[in-house]
Amino acid sequence: MNLHVSEWLAAYHDGELPANRQHQVEKHLQGCPSCRAELEALEELSSFLKADFVPPQTPPERFAAQVQLRLPRASLSRTPQGAGQPPRWVLGIPLVLITVWAFLQAALKVATFILTADQVLGIAGGRAALLKNWIATEGFLETSANLLLFNGLLLIGTLILWSAWMALWLAWTRNQTETSIKGGVT
Amino acid sequence: MDDRDLIAYAQQGDRQAFTELVCRYQDSMVSLTYRMCGDLRLAEDAAQEAFVRVWQNLKSYKPQYAFRSWLYRIATNAALDALRRERPTTELDSLSLADPGATPERSAEDNQQAVQIRRAIARLSEPLRVVLILREYQELTYQEIADALNIPVGTVMSRLNTARVQLRQELLVLLEEV
Repeated sequence: MNLHVSEWLAAYHDGELPANRQHQVEKHLQGCPSCRAELEALEELSSFLKADFVPPQTPPERFAAQVQLRLPRASLSRTPQGAGQPPRWVLGIPLVLITVWAFLQAALKVATFILTADQVLGIAGGRAALLKNWIATEGFLETSANLLLFNGLLLIGTLILWSAWMALWLAWTRNQTETSIKGGVT
Repeated sequence: MDDRDLIAYAQQGDRQAFTELVCRYQDSMVSLTYRMCGDLRLAEDAAQEAFVRVWQNLKSYKPQYAFRSWLYRIATNAALDALRRERPTTELDSLSLADPGATPERSAEDNQQAVQIRRAIARLSEPLRVVLILREYQELTYQEIADALNIPVGTVMSRLNTARVQLRQELLVLLEEV
C-alpha cells in the first residue's frame, strides 16, 4: 500500500486542495523526507520558470490605439448607442403622435369655423353650406358642443397615449441599464 | 469603474469602455501570448488579434464565467493561430537565441537561462504547454484553466503533472546548477 501523497503534491503546491486533504498532506510531509523532496522540486521548478521575464511591451495607449485601428469596419457602423439608449424608431413615436394631434386639431378648427361661420360672420356661401351639410350628415359633429367634446376626448386620448409611451420608454431604459450592469445575465 | 461595468458598457458598443479593458488586460494578454509564441512582436500581434475577437464576440460572453478565463481562451487560440501562420515549420531550436528581454542589468547567464526555459517550454506539446503557462505564469486556478480550455479539471491536473515532469527532465542540468 502506497502511503505517500505524491498524487496530491502538485495540487497542494498550487493551493488547490480542499482543507481536509491539505491537512492530511501537511501531516504526511512532516514525517516523509521523500515527499518533502518532491514538493521542494515542484517549488524549485516554479520559481525557476519565473526567471523568464516578459520583455517591455508597447505602451498601453499606443497598444490600445493599434487595437482600435484593427477593429472591423462592420462594427464601426453598428456603433453603439450609449448604455440604456433606446432604438431610434422609439424616439420617432412622440413626433408621430404630435403630428397626428396637430393635424386633427387643425382639421377640427377648420370644421368648426365652417360650421359657425354663417352665425358669426353672417356668411352663408355655397361651399360653406355644402361642407356644413356634409359634416352634419355624419351625425356626430352636428353641434359646436359635440365638436368641443370630441376635441376634448381627442386631447385626453393623446395625453394618455403620450403618458403610456413615456412609461414604456422609462421602463425599457431602466431594464436596459440593469441588464447591462449585470452583464446580460439571462 | 470595475471590470463588470466596463464589460457591460462595452457589450453595448461603448468603445471607450472597451479601450479601458484593453489597457487593463494588455499586460497579462501579451504575457500569455509571449509565453506561447516566444517572440514579442508575434505575441503583441496575437494579443491585438485576440482583443479584436473579444470585441466581436463580447455579446456572447456569459458573466457566469470568469472574464479572465474567457479572455485567455481567446488569446490562447490567437497565439496558436499566429504561430501556425508565421511559423508553419518551426524548428524548436530556431527560437530566438537572443533574449528579447535582455537588458544591460541582466547578466548573460540570466539571459541564457531564460532562453533555455523558453526552449524547454516550446518543446512541450501544445496541450501541455497551454496548461503549464496558464498555471505557472498566468496563475489561473485549475477551474479557471478548465473553463478557459473547455476541458475537465482532472485533465488539467494530469496535463500539468506531465508538463512539469517533462520540463524537469528538460531543465535538469540547469536546475542542478541552481
